[in-house]
Formats: sequence, C-alpha cells, structure tokens
Amino acid sequence: MGEIRQIAIYGKGGIGKSTTTQNLTAGLVEHGKKVMVVGCDPKADSTRLLLGGLAQKTVLDTIRDEGEDISLDRIMKEGFGGTRCVESGGPEPGVGCAGRGIITSINMLENLGAYTDDLDYVFYDVLGDVVCGGFAMPIREGKAKEIYIVASGEMMALYAANNIAKGIQRYAKTGGVRLGGIICNSRNVDRELDLLRAFAKELGTQLLYFVPRNNIVQRAEINKKTVIEYKPDSDQAQEYRNLAQAVIDNTSFVIPTPMTAERLEEILLEYGLMDNADDYRI
Amino acid sequence: MSEIQKKKPSVISDVRYACAVGATNTVVAIKGAVPIANCSPGCQLKTTAMLTFENGFQGSIAAGGGNMPSSNATENDVVFGGIKTLDNLIKSSLKIYDGDLFVVLTGCTGELIGDNVPDLVGKYQKAGYPIVYANTAGFKGNNLYGHEVVVDAIIDQFVGDYSGEKKKGLINLWFETPYYNQNWRGDYQELARILRGAGFDVNVLFGPENPGVEAWKRIPQAQFNLVVSPWVGVKNAEHLQKKYDQPFLHIPEIPVGEEATTKFIRQVVEYAGIDKKQSEEFIKQEASIYYYYLEHFSEFFAEYWYGMPSEFVVTADAAYALAYSKFLADQIGLIPKRVIITDNTPAKFRPAITEYFKNNISEGVSIDVDFEEDGYEVEKLIEGVEFTAGKPLILGTSWELTLANKKGALFFEISTPSSETLIVNRSHIGYKGALQFLERIYSASVGGK
Repeated sequence: MGEIRQIAIYGKGGIGKSTTTQNLTAGLVEHGKKVMVVGCDPKADSTRLLLGGLAQKTVLDTIRDEGEDISLDRIMKEGFGGTRCVESGGPEPGVGCAGRGIITSINMLENLGAYTDDLDYVFYDVLGDVVCGGFAMPIREGKAKEIYIVASGEMMALYAANNIAKGIQRYAKTGGVRLGGIICNSRNVDRELDLLRAFAKELGTQLLYFVPRNNIVQRAEINKKTVIEYKPDSDQAQEYRNLAQAVIDNTSFVIPTPMTAERLEEILLEYGLMDNADDYRI
Repeated sequence: MSEIQKKKPSVISDVRYACAVGATNTVVAIKGAVPIANCSPGCQLKTTAMLTFENGFQGSIAAGGGNMPSSNATENDVVFGGIKTLDNLIKSSLKIYDGDLFVVLTGCTGELIGDNVPDLVGKYQKAGYPIVYANTAGFKGNNLYGHEVVVDAIIDQFVGDYSGEKKKGLINLWFETPYYNQNWRGDYQELARILRGAGFDVNVLFGPENPGVEAWKRIPQAQFNLVVSPWVGVKNAEHLQKKYDQPFLHIPEIPVGEEATTKFIRQVVEYAGIDKKQSEEFIKQEASIYYYYLEHFSEFFAEYWYGMPSEFVVTADAAYALAYSKFLADQIGLIPKRVIITDNTPAKFRPAITEYFKNNISEGVSIDVDFEEDGYEVEKLIEGVEFTAGKPLILGTSWELTLANKKGALFFEISTPSSETLIVNRSHIGYKGALQFLERIYSASVGGK
C-alpha cells in the first residue's frame, strides 16, 4: 500500500467544488479506491451526495455538545461505495472563528486515528478562497500535498484561482504542497477551454480536466446522489470517471506562478472577448 | 536583485511593559472597581505579574492580582466564540463582588475573532448594572495604551453626559499609570498633597486617596484636567475637552525637588486663576522644610568624596526618565550620559520630549534622548557609554543589573521590571519625595563598600 494521497480542493464559492469532489470520489470508488472526504466548510454540505442527504453531525457540533472525549464513529459516516465522510462544520454564522475550527477538526481526526493505512485518498473540500491561516490548514504542516483548483471561464473564478495559487506558493516553500492542476467546471462561456488552458499555462500548471456542463448534475443533486450513482450510464458519469482517471494518472505537481492582476486581465481580454454580435442573445 | 537589508528584529527582548490587557490594574487602582479580564489565563497572569509583582512586589488589593475574574479563554472560545463564557463570568462576578464599577477588558482572543462584547455588556448596562467594556487587545498596544482606552471607556460608558456647572478650583489629576509607575501610590499622595496645599480641590482618580467611583462621576464638574506626564493621559484630556468642553493643562515634567515643585505649583495656580495667597504661603512653608533637610545633606555632599557618582544613565518610561533626569542634572549637578525611554512613546510626542532633553533639562546640559524598547539595543546603548569621572550611576530596570555590575556602577531600579526592590509606600517626587530620592542614591554611594 502506497502513501495516502491527500488532496485539497479549492475554488471560488459556488463554483462546484463539493459537487466535483463528490462525483470525482464516486469515480475513484469505481476504480476500487478507498476514499475519505473531509468537508472543510461551516455549511457542512460537502458529503451530501455521498451520504444521500445532510445525515452527518459535524465534528465541531459534536465537540460543542459532547466535549472532546468522543469516538471516531460519532463524526465519521460511511457513504456511497464505502467512502468515509466527515464534516468539519463550524460555529454559528457570524461568531467565533471557522478557520480555527478547521484546525481543531483536523487535529481531532488525527488524534482519533481517522487516517488509516488502507486509505488511498483523502479529500479536503475547502470553503472558497484561502482567506486566512485556518482555511489554509489542509495545505499547512504537510497534510494535503496535492491541490486542485476548480474554476470556470468566468472572471471572478479565475481571480479566486489566482489568489489560491498565491496561498499554495506560500506554503509550497515550507510544507511541500504542490498544485496538481485546474479542473474546469464548465459554465459554457465563450472560448472557455482556450481560456482555461492559457490560464493554467500562465500559472505553470495544466488544465487537468474539462468537465462539460450538463443538467443531469443538477438532477442528481436534487436526488441527493452523485451522477455516477444516479445515472451510471450517462455521458456525464463517464466524464467524472475520466476525471478520476486523470487524477489517478496525474504526475504533474508544481509550485504555481501566480500572476499579477494586470496579467490576468490581459489573458481575459485575449480569450474572453469574442468579436461577434450575439451579446444580446439570451 | 534586491539587496539584503539589515532590519531591526521584530521581536522585543527584555520587555519593559505589559500588553494592553494589563490595564486591568488601572481598574484595580479605583476603589470599588472590579476588572473582568476577558482573555486567556496566561494573559491575565503575565500582565498582572509584570506590573504588580516583578515591579517592586507592590502586591494588589480587592479584586486585583489573583482575585481578578478572568474568562480564561481556551480553544473552544476561539472556535465557537467566547460570548457565552464571558456572559457566565460577568454573571458570577456581579454575584461575588460587591463592586461599584465593573470593567470588561477584552484581549487578543476575543478581539481577533470579533466577539461582540459591546452588545453583551450593553445588555447589562441596559439592565442598570455599572459595567463598561474596553477593547484592550494586546496586538494594539502596551499597557499604557490600554490604560488610556480604559479611562476613555469609563468616561464614555459610566460617567456619561453632563451639562451642569464647572467648579472653580476643582481639578482632575491625570498622572502616573497605576502599578506600571512603581511609586505611583506614594507619588499620587505627594502630588495631591501639594495641589491641596496650593488651594485646589483635587479629584484623585486612582490610588490610596481615591475615594471610589464617585470621584469619576465628579470628573465633568472640574474646572480643568491637569495632565502631569510627558504623554500618558493627554489623549484622555483631549477626549474630555471635546466631551465636556473642559480645558486641560499639560505639564510633561513630574516635579522633583523644591525648584521644580514650586515652579509647578505656580504654573497650575496661574492657569487656574485662583488666589495666589494660599499657594505662596504653602510654597514658603514647604521650601523652608525642604532646605532645612537639604542643608544637613549639603554637609555630607561637600565633604564626602568616596564612590560618589557624577555621571548617570537612565532607562525608564518617559515620565520617570524625564522627572529624575531633570532633578539629577539640574539640582544635584550630575551629568546625563544617556537617557533611554522604553515605553514606546507615540511618535507625535517624541519631538517635544527630545527637545526637552536637548534644551530644557538644565543650563549648559543637553542630551540626545533615545527611544528604544528592545533590551538588546538598550544594552548596546548603555555599553557604549564611557563614564569619565566618579562612580557611574545607572537608574533602570532589573534587566540592567548585570551590565551595571560589569560597569562597576551604582545601580537601582526605577522602572518595570524591578525584582530587586520592594515598594510599600515610596515617592521620589515633589518636596518630600525628592529627599527620599537623595537618600536612596547616596545610601548606595556610602554603602556596599
């Protein structure tokens, strides 16, 4: 058994990190991999599709209610295909420090022995941007060594991705964390594939996979399932299997080279503007 | 390629003050007031130890020292917010202490995570409890900063609005920082005695002669605020000027000895516009006693020549550094070789203090004062001093002890920390305190051989 691949997924809020992570996880499970998903978001919705609903009491809620003397099965549930699901959770909105909460949760998981040798992958699905030290926790202290950024061709998604790359660069020097690539969760914007490729190249990394937009994802979500579980024969299910294969096969791990805001604007102008007349088409 | 620049280290060795939450001790100095420390247990303990223990072992009183309520914030309070813990602590404190005023001082933990302490304390205020909050996060400043924050908080949230008459001759005394200035208790008594002797009604806000929180309620009635300190308290006086349209007189120099104290009295009397008869009578009487003693001392001073100092170094906060240097240079005729101010004096006050040491300390005496908080730098500055005559005299903190021994200097502690000195009631200022100061210096000269 090799070393556990610990992977953190970052990206702009609402970009589809949790959806992508869980569908990717389902793909890995089909490849026979043992996966743990750790949701690092106070909203605690990172494991909903794997568990078939918000069935999970979060680590922090458990600590708050029961103290720190708890057993692992109180905070870890088994989901689709034997995946292990944990939600870090957080304080009530507007109070306390969710960043510190993530640090507390991950330390708790370690102390309780959640990282067993039979695991192939651990995913940290992290809220939005690397806003502070707490949300950088999964990439600090040598935990997740591999990062994927979920992005789309929308400007703010790329801004966030560039910012996240800055966070990775900071910890790459000391913690050994590396960027494994960009995963595009397509929004069907103009020349999205070209733009994402150019953006990834500028960051010194690769576009690992382009996940096309498909409404079946939405339908699967309403049914509280991953696409692979909901419609195993669909094209989109195959896309996620391919994404899983791309992650398995990936050998390109780099220290990213984040760009200046000006350079980012240049790339957007170059690829994002199309000289056509359908601006007003809905 | 960028050049490697030598930078001052960002850490401070041999600290000479506590962090802002140390202003809990400002509250302890008000009779009947109870500080509520909203911080981690280490913060409460260390600031209190620094200011009341390793600073002349002054001890504490009432709800101070080990009796101080503290939320002892831990990781749970960081993650989930510390409001519930604080709420419980306030409830218990109100139950246990028969206090006239409660002051919640929030340290780094609560301030970093944004605990809504004003909202919580506001609920108690609305329910009629005499309680205020102060944002005293250590990352914002030292205990002197905290002291000013606490004073403003009490004024705004406890003293409140006032539109009545001002009383001529009533002055609010803003002076040394309680506990931090190690002789503060004796000094407050001496300065209050002097001002009363000169004909003033003195509103003493801290220390043994503070009657309690009623003195604070009287603040708006005073004719003016008297700030006797190079900078601490000026901010509060400016605030009071705006709030109550109350003027202030700022005298940077704490008077030590007859000349300085007499000048001080005349300056305050002149400013207040009160009758000079009583103050002049008081000056005459005090001066006569002062010189009665000094004449005796002068015999020793003229005849004794073994191990007498003629040059000195001071390392202390701005208030003591300025007061003692002035007295030693102007009245005793000692030469300042280096004066180091260690209290992180705000930039806007530094030029005036620098100018004072350059041109105002004594006729024919001028020194470039250094502002330095870091122990390593302080030591380097003192080490570089070449004493040329007599026995060196070093007035400083415990941190200077080893160096003083190396230099063969007379040494005594005047500033935080002081772990070789025990202070019960002592003063080195005014008429009486100056004579004690002389005793202390020259006992060191004649002793220890």
